[in-house]
Amino acid sequence: MPRLGTSIRFTGACAVALATAATMVSAAGAKRTTTLNGAGSSLIAPAVAVWAPAYAKASGTEINYSAVGSGAGIAAITAKTVDFGASDAPLTDSQASACADCVQIPWALSATVPTYNVPGLHSGQLKLDGPTLAKIFLGQIKTWDDPAIKKLNPGTSLPNLAITTVHRSDGSGDTYAFTDYLSHVSAQWASQVGNSTSVSWPGGVGGAKNAGVAAVIASTPGSIGYISVAYVVQNHLDWARMKNAAGNYVLASAPDIEAAAQVVKSVPADNKLSIVDPPASPKYKNAWPLSTFTYVIVHTSSAQAPALRKFIFWALTPKAQHMISNSFLVFAPIPKVVLVAAEKTLTKVH
Amino acid sequence: MSVHGMTERTLNVPDLQRRQLFNRGMEVIAWLAALIAIAILVVVVYSVGRRGWTELNFNLLTKAPIPFSFTNAPQGLSNAFAGTLVIVAIATAMALPVGILVAIYLNEFAPPAIRNGVGMALDVLAGVPAIVIGIFVYGLLVAGGGGQSGLKGSFALGILMLPFVARTTIEVLALVPNSLREASLGLGVPQWRTTLSIVLPRAIGGILTGTVLAVARVAGETAPLLFTSSLVGAKTSWNPLHALQTVPVAIFELSESPDPKDHARAWAAAFVLLLFILFASLTARWLATRSARKIAGR
Amino acid sequence: MASLDVTEPARRPFSGRRVHLGDLLLQGLAGAAAAGATALVLLIAWKVVDGAHPSISKFGLGFIVHDVWNPVSGREAYGAASFLFGTVITSFFALLLATPLAIGIALFLTELAPRVVRGPVTALVETLAAVPSVVIGLWGILVLGPALRGNIESWLHSGLGWIPLFGAPSAAGASIFTAIVVLAIMILPIVSSISRELFLGVPHELKEGALALGTTRWEMVRGVMFPYARGGIAAALILGLGRAMGEAIAVTQVIGGGTVISWNLFNQGDTLASKIAAEYQGATSNLEVASLIYLGLILLVLSLIANSVAQLIVRRVARTHGVTRGGRG
Repeated sequence: MPRLGTSIRFTGACAVALATAATMVSAAGAKRTTTLNGAGSSLIAPAVAVWAPAYAKASGTEINYSAVGSGAGIAAITAKTVDFGASDAPLTDSQASACADCVQIPWALSATVPTYNVPGLHSGQLKLDGPTLAKIFLGQIKTWDDPAIKKLNPGTSLPNLAITTVHRSDGSGDTYAFTDYLSHVSAQWASQVGNSTSVSWPGGVGGAKNAGVAAVIASTPGSIGYISVAYVVQNHLDWARMKNAAGNYVLASAPDIEAAAQVVKSVPADNKLSIVDPPASPKYKNAWPLSTFTYVIVHTSSAQAPALRKFIFWALTPKAQHMISNSFLVFAPIPKVVLVAAEKTLTKVH
Repeated sequence: MSVHGMTERTLNVPDLQRRQLFNRGMEVIAWLAALIAIAILVVVVYSVGRRGWTELNFNLLTKAPIPFSFTNAPQGLSNAFAGTLVIVAIATAMALPVGILVAIYLNEFAPPAIRNGVGMALDVLAGVPAIVIGIFVYGLLVAGGGGQSGLKGSFALGILMLPFVARTTIEVLALVPNSLREASLGLGVPQWRTTLSIVLPRAIGGILTGTVLAVARVAGETAPLLFTSSLVGAKTSWNPLHALQTVPVAIFELSESPDPKDHARAWAAAFVLLLFILFASLTARWLATRSARKIAGR
Repeated sequence: MASLDVTEPARRPFSGRRVHLGDLLLQGLAGAAAAGATALVLLIAWKVVDGAHPSISKFGLGFIVHDVWNPVSGREAYGAASFLFGTVITSFFALLLATPLAIGIALFLTELAPRVVRGPVTALVETLAAVPSVVIGLWGILVLGPALRGNIESWLHSGLGWIPLFGAPSAAGASIFTAIVVLAIMILPIVSSISRELFLGVPHELKEGALALGTTRWEMVRGVMFPYARGGIAAALILGLGRAMGEAIAVTQVIGGGTVISWNLFNQGDTLASKIAAEYQGATSNLEVASLIYLGLILLVLSLIANSVAQLIVRRVARTHGVTRGGRG
């Protein structure tokens, strides 16, 4: 048999070496520690980024999280591509039936914030209320010096600049909270657009995930969008004061978010909570009207159920909750009634 | 080939000045078009090169990313580079043998009807957009409980590579003179040995060229990996049974971030990726000229 | 020994020879690979149609012309019109923008450029061809978008604002216009490389013959080179078109995810491919997933048509010019 050419032998040797190396390396990389893979909400992502190293030190379990948006998180956990999904939006009826043995557990409390980039205005200076915000996103208010905005901001000079609205182009829990709020405060929004993780926006620019929306707002003068509060703080963007139902202009600070969460008197069996637009009562005078709980979604029985249960239990402890309720991340403490319901649901996971 | 109605006009001398002026005008326009195009090319290549070069540092390759880092702790994209190496290597290992076998069948065994049919199928496969391949592999392997993994990403990239490898292999196999095959068969060597030991070695240069070019092409593919290997964390892993981060997907995610530090890493990664692709293309060209010289020399 | 047909590679063992096991194995293995490759194509087509089926059965062919995309549960309705419009507009204008530049460069490299310059410029074109689409998208977001919206869009609007295409400029860098420029840059190298090879392939005798008759350079190009290369250039353009239609990543990075059909190129928009890339992971329901796959099906059909037309043209041109490929007629 004629000798195989040098090139063939060289190629063959390379292939064998590559295959051997790959096998050895992947065998070496095979898990000796438990790893939990999660995906979903970008709102909770900064919290998970703080929790992961702390939990790894406490328990040896690694948390691998991919912030792909609440919609993708729901899809991923339904398809069992990950061990846990995270979403700011509770499962819809059809999603709940598609994810048959899933439970959703509220494990953090934060908010989404109208964020703007208007030359001449600094952070916290712009005052808006629900109906005006709805009209802006419906495309009915087109410039920053519109009388409706001027009325809410007497004494502030507003430029004659076109408004560019920015929304999430992916399936998003922030979109859910934002459209939930707008549906509450504007009947036209409720009938024309509605409330979901993904809606048909009447115009505007789309950004992918919180980071993408932040990038668009930061680079587009005259823009306004909605972002999880942690991203606003991290990127030094300008956030708006919103007029809540009680008539006060508030900012999305932890105490104001916590006040909004007080509307929860009892938690339904499926843990589906909505705390946007708290009613006009003195109890909620400082409530931030676009607050939202965020959920971790897991299957009740799976190979990783014990490890998941330990992790979520740890995340619900005061110590873990304390780690994320700071000035950077702006998560608020979960009210007792929700905590009890969360832990009760957790017992189903085993 | 007809020279469209020129003869009559050519001999009309008073017309000459006008025609020469017109010619000058068209030359200027062509130069202008070319210069605009060259300017665009220079701007793009220079932009990427300059930003990438200034942001390049070793951390990129050695450090893992730190999500939501509030400090300036050094971070890089080691998980993405590891993942790309693993996924592209496995994709090549999948596509290369299949591509060569398809080419052998079409060139050495197949009757013309089958040759045309399969050839057409390969051309169709080459024209399927990468995102549709992503949907396909997702529906086939990932949905319904399959889960993501580097292997499935490799499978998607392998599908993209296959028509390319097959086509270039067919072409170089066809270049091998029939006299060689006939001589070998005439000496009593079975056809399979003829193909594997006589024909294939002559074509190996071209096959390698095609493979390297295919690798260069899929190293930068993002869309299929979004569907098959995108739910990844920050840890560097070499295990293809898990979803692995890859350089194009990392660049995609970083490009949409508001943080200038993320942009810096994206440019640097883009620079490394571009260098790798250019190096692969140059290698392919060198291999091609080398094998052409060998065939001509013998 | 039986005689061989010397114009074809030996296909079968000649009569009287033993059939070796190895022959059968190789033929079987290779045949399986070929069958597998063919089956793969059919499988892809089938999987895409199958995945889109819930949406096809609900919306039918009307999906293609219906301009809606509403994922809100209780009022779900989906239609491809907006994205089909986006795909057609971006690809068409990208081609319009790239073609003169590509042919200009090709002519420059074959006829006009001094020899010294030809090498580097060819290398430059090939370098651009090597840049992955995600990197062009990165450049589009960070460099091109801000540059366009700052100066070029307002300049175009003030000069050509009477054309509905150049309406009010956008404050955001992301827009259909940015996507058009990005796509043009991506298809420029393909079209110019193929055109250059076509121009190089024009037989010298034809060119010199024309020049000897006293034609000017331009008349030679117009009368000899263009007609000769016409078919190939048409094929190259259609290949470029197919490439532009199928591009998902660079487009989704710079097009802005707009939902409203508008002729104003400075507005945001979306194409079939970019919509799929943006929404697929986070689709809210099975119907939305199926509708996104339906978008993919439309895209697949369009790409197949483009590629088939290009192939047809190439084959016709090859016949006209009597080109024979190595080994087979």
